[in-house]
Amino acid sequence: METIAIDIRGQICPACLLITLREINTHKTVLRDGKARLVIKTDHRDATRTIPSTVCAMGYDINVTGRKGYYEITIGYRK
Amino acid sequence: MRKIAPLRINNIDELQKSNETLKRYIREKVNQLLSMMGTRPLDPAELDDSTLLDIDPIGIIADAFGQVLEHLEETNRKLINTKDQLQAVFETAGVCISIVDPDLRIISCNEKQRELLVSDLNEKEFVGRYCYEVYCGNDSPALYCPAIETIETGKPVFIREIKKKGRYFQIVTSPLKNRDGTLKGVVEVSIDVTEKKRAEEGMRQAEKLSAIGLLGAGVAHEINTPLGNILGYAKMLLKEQDLSDHHKEKLQVIVEQAKKGSEIIRGLLNFSRQSKPSLATISMNDMVNKVLLELSTQIERQGITTRKNLRPIPLVEADPLQIEQVLSNLVLNALHALARTPEGTIIVETQRTGAFVETRIVDNGPGISDTLLPLIFDPFFTTKPVGEGVGLGLSICSGIIRDHGGTIQAESDPRGKTVFSFLLPVRSP
Ligand SMILES: Nc1ncnc2c1ncn2[C@@H]1O[C@H](COP(=O)(O)OP(=O)(O)OP(=O)(O)O)[C@@H](O)[C@H]1O
Ligand SMILES: [Mg+2]
Repeated sequence: METIAIDIRGQICPACLLITLREINTHKTVLRDGKARLVIKTDHRDATRTIPSTVCAMGYDINVTGRKGYYEITIGYRK
Repeated sequence: MRKIAPLRINNIDELQKSNETLKRYIREKVNQLLSMMGTRPLDPAELDDSTLLDIDPIGIIADAFGQVLEHLEETNRKLINTKDQLQAVFETAGVCISIVDPDLRIISCNEKQRELLVSDLNEKEFVGRYCYEVYCGNDSPALYCPAIETIETGKPVFIREIKKKGRYFQIVTSPLKNRDGTLKGVVEVSIDVTEKKRAEEGMRQAEKLSAIGLLGAGVAHEINTPLGNILGYAKMLLKEQDLSDHHKEKLQVIVEQAKKGSEIIRGLLNFSRQSKPSLATISMNDMVNKVLLELSTQIERQGITTRKNLRPIPLVEADPLQIEQVLSNLVLNALHALARTPEGTIIVETQRTGAFVETRIVDNGPGISDTLLPLIFDPFFTTKPVGEGVGLGLSICSGIIRDHGGTIQAESDPRGKTVFSFLLPVRSP
């Protein structure tokens, strides 16, 4: 499975959310087909709350992992 | 349609002003959409006007909502699918399922439950009514009602056997909870164990009968000879000339008691007869007429009314003597039960029931209590005083009917109605 990585460290909410949504919209087909997943790096704590709640409502699965100094949010389509 | 007046711009100032208004409008709408998504408004310091327009937030959010809708639609479709499947399982399950609310009002039930426990009411008529009215036919809930226990404790309850509308059920009740954990109702699953129970009872009965039959045959034979001797010698003695009245009286008692003894022995031997029925083609309606005629003197003497309700029925293959014995045992029992009933009535009915001919003997006597009912087919069970009944009548009947591939059963309402009914297989063509 392909991984589409996006680094939005330095951005703060709601820009983080908007950028994430834009990426999901752009890659909608491959994501929904299960051919790719999105991995987002952010250092903004609020984003780990706002992104999952919106993205879940769109039918995606979310996994948030804390790394050194940033968070990694993985988004894939829920079959 | 109302025409929108074209925007006419007269100078730069005005242009800038309207530009500001539009940008403010966009920011406001973006913020409104963001707050719907649970995030905070855009900070103008973070995102200047030109970046804002570059990013196209309204477009992004619109697309995202598009996906939310798509996802909802799909989820809906899946839910409907799952619901249809569950509904099919619910309806076609071989067990009775019912859901009641915490006030014991029916929310819904499945096909099997309707078939066995809801009599001729349609869905509109029973939903919302009390379950104990519809399912149990009572004015108030039973003392041991498992649904009430589940409502009170919030825990599942299992009942091994409960009688509803003449059938036996095993029941499990489980709580149905709302998402917040409060009780929404009770799911009641009932399994009809009537046939199983009847079969078990038949087995138990058959085992008892064969044990007693073997023992009885042996003992009866051994006792018959000495008993015959006692009777013979007592009768010889009675013929002696020089007996005092006092002695004669006592001898008379010996003779009577010996006779009673041999009657019991005859019953036992009869009971343990190993012979298979010798079959003939017979009409149950003819048998009923014959037996009632034979017993007519006794019926009239007791002032009992008899009614016959003999329907057109197929012939059966049976041993006429044995079937006569069954019928007369049942009618004699009814006559005996009616000894103290004013306006005693015996109804004998015949009808076809599936592949069987059913014969029913109904009396309006005192009935049989629930505690005694399971015992009456047991050998030697009798409520009659010593000397009047041996308690073998019904066990002989049940043995004969079983030998014919049929079943016999008793139902009684202790308020005064007893029904004995037996089924004999229709003669195969
Ligand atoms: N129609 C009836 N109404 C009420 N009780 C009945 C009826 N038929 C049977 N019984 C009860 O069942 C008992 C057993 O009946 P059963 O015919 O086996 O024996 P019995 O009549 O007592 O003696 P016998 O061996 O002389 O027939 C009876 O003693 C009586 O208590
Ligand atoms: Mg009897």
